[in-house]
Amino acid sequence: MGTIHLFRKPQRSFFGKLLQEFGLVAADRRTWKILLFGVINLTCTGFLLMWCSSTNSIALTAYTYLTIFDLFSLMTCLISYWVMMRKPSPVYSFGFERLEVLAVFASTVLAQLGALFILKESVERFLEQPEIHTGRLLVGTFVALSFNLFTMLSIRNKPFAYVSEAASTSWLQEHVADLSRSVCGIIPGLSSVFLPRMNPFVLIDLAGAFALCITYMLIEINNYFAVDTASAIAIALMTFGTMYPMSVYSGKVLLQTTPPHVIGQLDKLLREVSTLDGVLEVRNEHFWTLGFGSLAGSVHVRIRRDANEQMVLAHVTNRLYTLVSTLTVQIFKDDWIRPSLPSGPVAANVLNFSDHHIIPMPPLKGIDELNPVTSTPTKPSSPPPEFSFNTPGKNVNPVILLNTQTRPYGLGLNHGHIPYSSMVNQGLGVPGIGATQGFRTGFTNIPGRYGTNNRIGQPRP
Amino acid sequence: MEEKYGGDVLAGPGGGGGRLGPVDVPSARFTKYIVLLCFTKFLKAVGLFESYDLLKAVHIVQFIFILKLGTAFILVLFQKPFSSGKSITRHQWIKIFKHAVAGCIISLLWFFGLTLCGPLRTLLLFEHSDIVVISLLSVLFTGSGGGPAKTRGAAFFIIAVICLLLFDNDDLMAKMAEHPEGHHDSALTHMLYTAIAFLGVADHKSKVESWFSLITPFTTVIFFVMILDFYVDAICSVKIEVNKCARYGSFTVFISALLFGNFWTHPITDQLRAMNRAAHQESTEHVLSGGVVVSAIFFILSANILSSPSKRGQKGTLIGYSPEGTPLYNFMGDAFQHTSQSIPRFIKESLKQILEENDSRQIFYFLCLNLLFTFVELFYGVLTNSLGLISDGFHMLFDCSALVMGLFAALMSRWKATRIFSYGYGRIEILSGFINGLFLMVIAFFVFMESVARLIDPPELDTHMLTPVSVGGLIVNLIGICAFSHAHNHTHGASQGSCHSSDHSHSHHTHSHSDHGHGHSHGPAGGGMNANMRGVFLHVLADTLGSVGVIVSTILIEQFGWFIADPLCSLFIAILIFLSVIPLIKDACQVLLLRLPPEYEKELHLALEKIQKIEGLISYRDPHFWRHSANIVAGTIHIQVTSDVLEQRIVQQVTGILKDAGVNNLTIQVEKEAYFQHMSGLSTGFHDVLAMTKQMESMKYYKDGTYIM
Repeated sequence: MGTIHLFRKPQRSFFGKLLQEFGLVAADRRTWKILLFGVINLTCTGFLLMWCSSTNSIALTAYTYLTIFDLFSLMTCLISYWVMMRKPSPVYSFGFERLEVLAVFASTVLAQLGALFILKESVERFLEQPEIHTGRLLVGTFVALSFNLFTMLSIRNKPFAYVSEAASTSWLQEHVADLSRSVCGIIPGLSSVFLPRMNPFVLIDLAGAFALCITYMLIEINNYFAVDTASAIAIALMTFGTMYPMSVYSGKVLLQTTPPHVIGQLDKLLREVSTLDGVLEVRNEHFWTLGFGSLAGSVHVRIRRDANEQMVLAHVTNRLYTLVSTLTVQIFKDDWIRPSLPSGPVAANVLNFSDHHIIPMPPLKGIDELNPVTSTPTKPSSPPPEFSFNTPGKNVNPVILLNTQTRPYGLGLNHGHIPYSSMVNQGLGVPGIGATQGFRTGFTNIPGRYGTNNRIGQPRP
Repeated sequence: MEEKYGGDVLAGPGGGGGRLGPVDVPSARFTKYIVLLCFTKFLKAVGLFESYDLLKAVHIVQFIFILKLGTAFILVLFQKPFSSGKSITRHQWIKIFKHAVAGCIISLLWFFGLTLCGPLRTLLLFEHSDIVVISLLSVLFTGSGGGPAKTRGAAFFIIAVICLLLFDNDDLMAKMAEHPEGHHDSALTHMLYTAIAFLGVADHKSKVESWFSLITPFTTVIFFVMILDFYVDAICSVKIEVNKCARYGSFTVFISALLFGNFWTHPITDQLRAMNRAAHQESTEHVLSGGVVVSAIFFILSANILSSPSKRGQKGTLIGYSPEGTPLYNFMGDAFQHTSQSIPRFIKESLKQILEENDSRQIFYFLCLNLLFTFVELFYGVLTNSLGLISDGFHMLFDCSALVMGLFAALMSRWKATRIFSYGYGRIEILSGFINGLFLMVIAFFVFMESVARLIDPPELDTHMLTPVSVGGLIVNLIGICAFSHAHNHTHGASQGSCHSSDHSHSHHTHSHSDHGHGHSHGPAGGGMNANMRGVFLHVLADTLGSVGVIVSTILIEQFGWFIADPLCSLFIAILIFLSVIPLIKDACQVLLLRLPPEYEKELHLALEKIQKIEGLISYRDPHFWRHSANIVAGTIHIQVTSDVLEQRIVQQVTGILKDAGVNNLTIQVEKEAYFQHMSGLSTGFHDVLAMTKQMESMKYYKDGTYIM
């Protein structure tokens, strides 16, 4: 199909779009494998649902939902292939990596909702236990188990493999690890299979099948029909236990949170950044994961007025770039309208500085805000909490002293004397900066408290 | 034979070296103590079975009296508490008295239990050592019992008790009902009973023909259950570790109890029985059952796990190194993490938080109403023993879970930003809306499947109970719809420029009090940005539709006898729910995928065009704008400028333009040519250098362009 021409047409039916996107993925052979598995899965699920209604067993239904979850995971796999093909569009400027995360999240949540339904059903069944026919129970169990294991082991499902590695262990895994630690003490060869953690999907498939086998046995032997409900609850709880950590992990990615495991590294880098020459503080740090793995972030860096912005920007970017791939750094200076400190070569620049750029006086409002003694304006918000990560996004731009309507140009040379008058203020500001520098060497010893204390230290010349 | 078996097996793991774990004292030294302990426990089991037989003949109070008397006699002889050691003060006497009373009550209960449920069950339930019980309680009530192993142990313990209670075929209750005096339906005791009755003495079991024949059994019981156990326990807890002692002890007790439970009435154990009985009757009471065996296995497992040394404190955090170079760990971890907060205070605080804001308050009130209705329904269901009502009540509870989630999301979204949630928690509302949407889709799916199944095979319905319940549910849900659609309009008014919402807002007002839900289903599609409230609203709407459907189908069935109406109605409802959820899910997905917010799209395009025209600006790259939560629209952009403009001015202008376009959390990176030079100097990777030089090329090109201009 002529994908390129179709792509231009803005109005297409939903299915047409879907078909066209599918064309993108269909080139890959793995896609066809996944589709094959999907078809097998659908037939398998159909049979299982039929057997569920014929046996009237809710435990088998709960187990069938795991097969349906497999279908979702196949879809996720397909989506991840699609994501690899797609480039970022202007509307989705970060690319479609997040779709993978969303798919994982949705499928784990759906599995949990299914488990919730099972729980509800089984509570109702406890009130009135129907009779269970064991005819197809064992057959269904083994069909589902073998199919699940076959799918799990033959298809490399990148997103789920990543999540199951990265998310915290489920209680099921913990118990198995705990048990197998003692087993491996006796037979060390098994440790490669069981330790440190088993694949959660394989684990839940095996455990569910085990529960179903027990159910079958007890019903066959003693007609304990309540066992069916009990094992349905057990399978539902295990599903919860397995899916919950994964949905928490992917949900946290979707919530744009800083992943806890990189916080240590980030701290270290930010501390390095805050000790760079000219950097006064780092704030409004937002770091979050884009898809699985790649980190994005933005940060505001306040620098000294005489520091070279591009130099600092390059250094900050260079430091953070090792960890954060999509990075935006905003450099800001307080009081940048006044000329910078006349020291060394800059002093020689003052003259052509004033004829090149006309330095406008900030409007009166701006002056009023300034404390004449300090070179930095007092922060409008309450003093920041102990860590500058805490600065919420609302007070983003403390930089703005002018509003946009005042054009800085065209105020003309009639304000030419102002730089000199402000230089008097500047003279007062010098010890303040000196104090900052002195302080900074001190606060590097206090981990996690950079950038906020020098603000307090500054007003005391 | 059994004791040999027990001793061997138990000495095996104890004596076998090569176990993993912390360094142990070579356990070969303990073997004799372990064998001794196991033998004693075995004898104790014998003694308890014996005392069960005795209790059939002797009244419990007399039995305990004789038992205690004999024990005291022997112990006083051996220990000489009065003649040796320090004299006992008056304070100590009081304590001793208290202890004695408590001990009496406990042993009374113990032996009463023995008469009721037989020696096997008593042994299983009662013979747990202190540390097992302590660690069980700590797992159950403190929450930090020490790792998954202990939790598993506690779960096993509970399963064992449940097995004993539910799956044990010991028809105790039936027997209790037959014989109000207790159960003595074993032929032997029955004979005894009739003999007593024949003799014409008062109906008191304690009147035994000859007390003389009971001397031997009493001696064995006193010696096995009390004296030997006491001394050996004391010795073993000194010589070997307490947990090992507990493990082996309980293992032997349970195993031997199981064995005796099977073989006690068998001729093999004849020589063990001190009470000589002429006639052997196959006892039918308190026999082994599958439940007992399973629960015994679980008890053994749980005792084993719970008595194993606690692994607590293995999660120490490395704090540093000592001067000698050995690592120092901090094991105090969880002592500091638990901040104690009293429960009423916590409830009060969270209630206050809930009632502070409109959204959460509304959800909370509606949740309360819903729960009230549910519990009334459940109560009536239990009262009238109607299964339909109870299951409907559970269904309502299940629906409440969505409301609870919405409430939590509304509460959490106001939390302060933290390090991990650097933008604040506002996005949780969107995630909750998404989950609620998925929830509704699942519900729609299930209803659909159910109705298709019923369409194929329509069942006969009992309709007379359905109507009042569904009318009640309808009223509750209508109240909810009124409240939420009201809130909806508020948020709707607050959100500006949402392109979908304007054309629907009128229908909203007109229909908001009608009981027909259909007009609503498309109403909230483009409502305010609060996805959480939309999710909750849709949920309530779906419930209302369900009630309406039930009422309509009931009427149709009762009036016309159309049994097909019920599945058709639910089919229709399922499709309606599904269609109404799609916009919510689509919007939430777009936000979660960091799409350019559709309602700001036009303005942002204009803004970017404006930015192009700023003086000194060469180009911009990587413009990212996305909606973070209901009131945060974040954006980042990189801007390249010529080397002679002031960066801060550019930042200020761009900020102004983008703020006007609606972006309120902005980061602007201003780059000059110098930046790329610095970067190419700093970065060592070939790839990076290549990228940077490409950027520089483009800059040069643009620079030329601007110069020409």
